[in-house]
Amino acid sequence: MRSWLGPILLFILIMVSYPLTIEFLEQDLEKGFYSLLWISILLSMMFSTEDIFLEDYNDGSLEQIIISSTSFPFMVAKKILIYWLMIGIPISILSFLFSLGITQNLSISLFLFPMALISSYIFLNLFVFGTALSLNKGSVLGALITMPLALPVLIVLGKSIIAIQFGINYLEFLLLLLGCLSIIITVVPFIVSYVIKTHLE
Amino acid sequence: MNIKSLVEADNIAYKINGNKLFHNISFSVKKGEALHISGPNGSGKSTLIRIILGITKQIKGSIYHSKSIDISYLGHKNALKNYLSVSDNLMLQGLSNDNELNNLLVLLGLKKFLDVTVANLSYGQQKKLALLRIFLNKSNLIVLDEPFVGLDSDAQDIVEKFLINEINLGKALVYTSHIKSNIDSKILNLK
Amino acid sequence: MIKKFIHQFASPKTYLYQINRAYKYIFYSSLFIYTFSLIWGLLFTPEDFVQGNSFRIIYLHVPASFLSQSLYVAMAIASVTYLIWRVKLAAYLIIAIAPIGAMVTFIALSSGSIWGIPTWGTWWQWDARITSTLILFIMYLGLISLHTSFSNHEKADKLLSWLVIVGFVNIPIIKKSVDWWSTLHQSASITLTDRPSIDPSMLYPLIGSIIGFFGLIICLVIISSKVQIIKRESTKSWLKDYV
Repeated sequence: MRSWLGPILLFILIMVSYPLTIEFLEQDLEKGFYSLLWISILLSMMFSTEDIFLEDYNDGSLEQIIISSTSFPFMVAKKILIYWLMIGIPISILSFLFSLGITQNLSISLFLFPMALISSYIFLNLFVFGTALSLNKGSVLGALITMPLALPVLIVLGKSIIAIQFGINYLEFLLLLLGCLSIIITVVPFIVSYVIKTHLE
Repeated sequence: MNIKSLVEADNIAYKINGNKLFHNISFSVKKGEALHISGPNGSGKSTLIRIILGITKQIKGSIYHSKSIDISYLGHKNALKNYLSVSDNLMLQGLSNDNELNNLLVLLGLKKFLDVTVANLSYGQQKKLALLRIFLNKSNLIVLDEPFVGLDSDAQDIVEKFLINEINLGKALVYTSHIKSNIDSKILNLK
Repeated sequence: MIKKFIHQFASPKTYLYQINRAYKYIFYSSLFIYTFSLIWGLLFTPEDFVQGNSFRIIYLHVPASFLSQSLYVAMAIASVTYLIWRVKLAAYLIIAIAPIGAMVTFIALSSGSIWGIPTWGTWWQWDARITSTLILFIMYLGLISLHTSFSNHEKADKLLSWLVIVGFVNIPIIKKSVDWWSTLHQSASITLTDRPSIDPSMLYPLIGSIIGFFGLIICLVIISSKVQIIKRESTKSWLKDYV
């Protein structure tokens, strides 16, 4: 948690360097922008979860939490929520601001904001699962194996932008992601707490 | 199961990758009792401690925990945040408002180090700081894995006196130690 | 009751002895079916009107693609069995299947690439099905590397099972990817519900090749699971008698 600023800076860096590396007209800029945006959110979330349990694992705090009577899945859920509040929300606001500079269509930006909020929370949960799996092995492995799980979300995000550009039932995508999120936030804390307990065994 | 027992193990065994670590272990710990788990390195003392704590699951046998059980534990890992000061660590553990805290800090010689980051403390000082969690906790079972390692003889005396006092007050203690102590305890020897 | 039943029949010992008896029959019959379908499909079916002779790679590509997903489903079933009933054999099977799944997925991807050159004019296309199959391949590799990174086998088994179950989301995505996205990739030739979109003269050898390939891969899984059992049960006394 000490390094919550790192992922946000990474996000800003990618978004700022994007227009510098492209030498086309403005409408071409917009085409690539959204896919880059989703990928940057994904990457920032991946980096933010890198050390989410590592410190507590190494210094023995996790054992203390398991022994104490507080519910472990609840603790995990709380921790993920804090990460989202500290990293996910700022990144979503930044996504909104960056998109204002890219497109004249305000409805896209307004739609993009809740999508970023939801997807960052989903990514966070998925990568927390990955980091928990490879708790003592460094999180590159964990991120790699949970990456495929994030893929469907990326696909939905990509399709939703096309939908809103053509003005067709884009709310469905939002509801779909919300549905995914509601399942994920109830299931992931339990799986993660089970995985961590297995690690400590 | 005996109602007075806080923990009771019946014929438990543990294996790692198919290799037996220990087997046929039975014991019980009642209120006001101490249990010293002894044995050479690698005999499974820490594993047995973790089974008692409920972190690790035994392969065979069963272990009962009393419903009223409340454990405080200190193992090889201190559960301290290295980059935070002593007082911040105490706050994080929810100990900073305890009435006895000040006396204990003076007694253990930690009072003047309150603003020092834990990383800059010596090993013995860190251990003392970690032991504060045990001292200030209102649990009825104290589980310690090598509590005296790194402590000077004065500090060991303090810890011992504290533990003996707690046992007399009706708490139970389970510990491993290579260092001789004056705590009157049952001995469980792992080969 | 179920638990007792499963544990009795799924003990590594019973499995090993039973499978040794069955192995021969599975191997020779599936080898026969696969060679027979291959010869039929390669030599005795007419050329495709559009694709010419290049379509004949389906006798490798389609079975491999089908198996790459089926093996994952098998792993998922084994994972559930392991987590619910603690059947050790199920855990051995997961690890036995993973490398074979990776291999079969690789065959599916590479044969698809080869097929792509004459028909699409490109050997790789970032379309949904190819990408999701590539991800399946990466998942297999990830599962293998996760398992090898642990020294405690029981721990590794449990974590692996969870990952397999969670990663199962990818399977329906691969299945449906051809219908959900507009793509170069043709949709499935055979489905259970609709009439096949393929000429019977190609269909029968194709079905034969799928069955034959399936059997051959099962033989590989059997061998690989035997290796796992011998590796993991090496301290047990019955194994010494067996060897």
